[in-house]
Amino acid sequence: MSEIWVLVDTTADGKIRNVTFEVLTAAAKLKEKNSATVAAVYLGESAGSIEAELGKYGADKVYKIESPALKDFNPSAYASALSEVIKKYNPDIILGGNTMQNQDFLPRVSAKTSGGLVLDAVDVDISASSTLAIKRYRYSGKSISGMTFHDIKPMMATIRPNAFKAIEKSGAAEVVSESPEVPSQENVKILETKLVPKDRPELTEADKIVSGGRGVASTENFKLIFDIADSIGAGAGASRAAVDSGYVPYEMQVGQTGKVVAPNLYIAVGISGSVQHYAGMGSSKVIVAINKDPDAPIFQKCDYGICGDLFEVLPALTEEFKKLT
Amino acid sequence: MKIVVIVRQTPDTEAKITANSSGNGIDENELKWILNPFDEFAVEEAVKIKEETGAEVVVLGIGPDRTLETIRTAMAMGGDSAIHIKDESFGSTDSYATAKLIAYKIKAMGDVDLILAGKKWIDEESGQVPIQVAAELDIPQATIATKVDVNEAAKTVKVQSEIEGGQRILELNFPALVTCERGLNEPRYASLPGIMKAKKKPLEEVTLDSIGLEELGLTKENLGIGGSRYSVDNIDIPVINRSLNVLKGGSSDMVEASEVQAAAENLTKLLREEAKII
Repeated sequence: MSEIWVLVDTTADGKIRNVTFEVLTAAAKLKEKNSATVAAVYLGESAGSIEAELGKYGADKVYKIESPALKDFNPSAYASALSEVIKKYNPDIILGGNTMQNQDFLPRVSAKTSGGLVLDAVDVDISASSTLAIKRYRYSGKSISGMTFHDIKPMMATIRPNAFKAIEKSGAAEVVSESPEVPSQENVKILETKLVPKDRPELTEADKIVSGGRGVASTENFKLIFDIADSIGAGAGASRAAVDSGYVPYEMQVGQTGKVVAPNLYIAVGISGSVQHYAGMGSSKVIVAINKDPDAPIFQKCDYGICGDLFEVLPALTEEFKKLT
Repeated sequence: MKIVVIVRQTPDTEAKITANSSGNGIDENELKWILNPFDEFAVEEAVKIKEETGAEVVVLGIGPDRTLETIRTAMAMGGDSAIHIKDESFGSTDSYATAKLIAYKIKAMGDVDLILAGKKWIDEESGQVPIQVAAELDIPQATIATKVDVNEAAKTVKVQSEIEGGQRILELNFPALVTCERGLNEPRYASLPGIMKAKKKPLEEVTLDSIGLEELGLTKENLGIGGSRYSVDNIDIPVINRSLNVLKGGSSDMVEASEVQAAAENLTKLLREEAKII
């Protein structure tokens, strides 16, 4: 029977990332059409008992691809291990979250297995010819394309976080253990890994985001953005103008040349709403704008807004948000 | 040492995108094209390494005739020579086949130490082609680089790479591929004299006839859509359709200080009860 694989993404401390459950939900949508088996696929040194949690979100099977050589992420090693197991089981479709790790090694899997790969899909389906069909943004969020895979396996796609809502079901997954031989990676050495503990959710996965723009006017004033973000457990972002002005680091930039985000709630504060910024957050479910310029383009691209001085509005709104339970 | 920089021509970030008459591509009329913004960091880094070590910098671009302008921009920034893989039938070629062609050409050069590219092509919103090239060449990669240090004597490159939640420092043996992130450097402008000079620099134009496609598992007929792993069915331009419920002041557009509290309460209520989002 044909299989749909879902790559298991874990955090540095071994927790399964929520995007994995979202992708399992996407796979369940495909399964309704082609009755495939949905298998979660773990790659790493040691999986632990992840099958209960994965089964709950719809995995019929869990492949545990384990090897000491997969302890630290190395794109060549991961691609080699996954490609070996793909050749053994020949899955039709492979899906994963559009995480940095998957973006880093799946292109190598594509080259190794001769399968096609599409990144950052926002919807998946089964085409009339029984292949994978996806929708994704192209041209910097200014267009959305429907794409259909040709009948060459494996058909691979990563899915944008928050594009699907994870739905808990009931179920148990059967475990299959694999330990492929991983060629040693002598041509690359990891000298150092620096993980910065984060006070807030990662932008690309956050359910809510508050971003500040040029109107915030200084690094110190960004405290207002952080305060309101923390009051609702949101990630904190910025427009290119705020980053270019040196208020906050580039890693906070949302937009065409920054991060592409799709939270359920995006609050744009002191951001005019350029085409380039919208390209990075336009697929957010609800957009709120706070700006003192009534003619700011963002007011033509939002669901809710307050036309007012952010230095007056933010403290009041933060207090209101804090009252919520 | 020899460095190859892979460059991509993309529509200008300000460009308005519309679908063409067939509905599965974009209308290229009156479109302004630029060097992919992330490729600027790759070209700059290559030229900086050249200035330090005397390395040779080869610019490699793939695409139709118009791509030449972008290739020349990269040469004007300091590239020594260029390779333009061109054929009009490349238009619908996907990343899989594109990477095969680029890798083929780099392999044919034989003595490449370092390949630099942008971390993402902003038109396709994907950074997969350079990585596929590395895989085809079976060489190591470091992606999303914010620091690159070449050690020519040791034939290694030390790279600070952005990863989920932090950074890591990798050391790669030559030949290696590095994709470049904003923050790596400040790209120089291509000056007008530079652009004039670029027109005189060596340019190799590679057409499909000169590539042994069969070796790559591709055929001429199979390039474009036929050789790809998927095809584009349609392009839609999303219409912005939002509710535009903007709270304004009583006497002017702007909410006055005395009205701020009410506006904050009102917005919170809307987000909770109408949007059900907080």
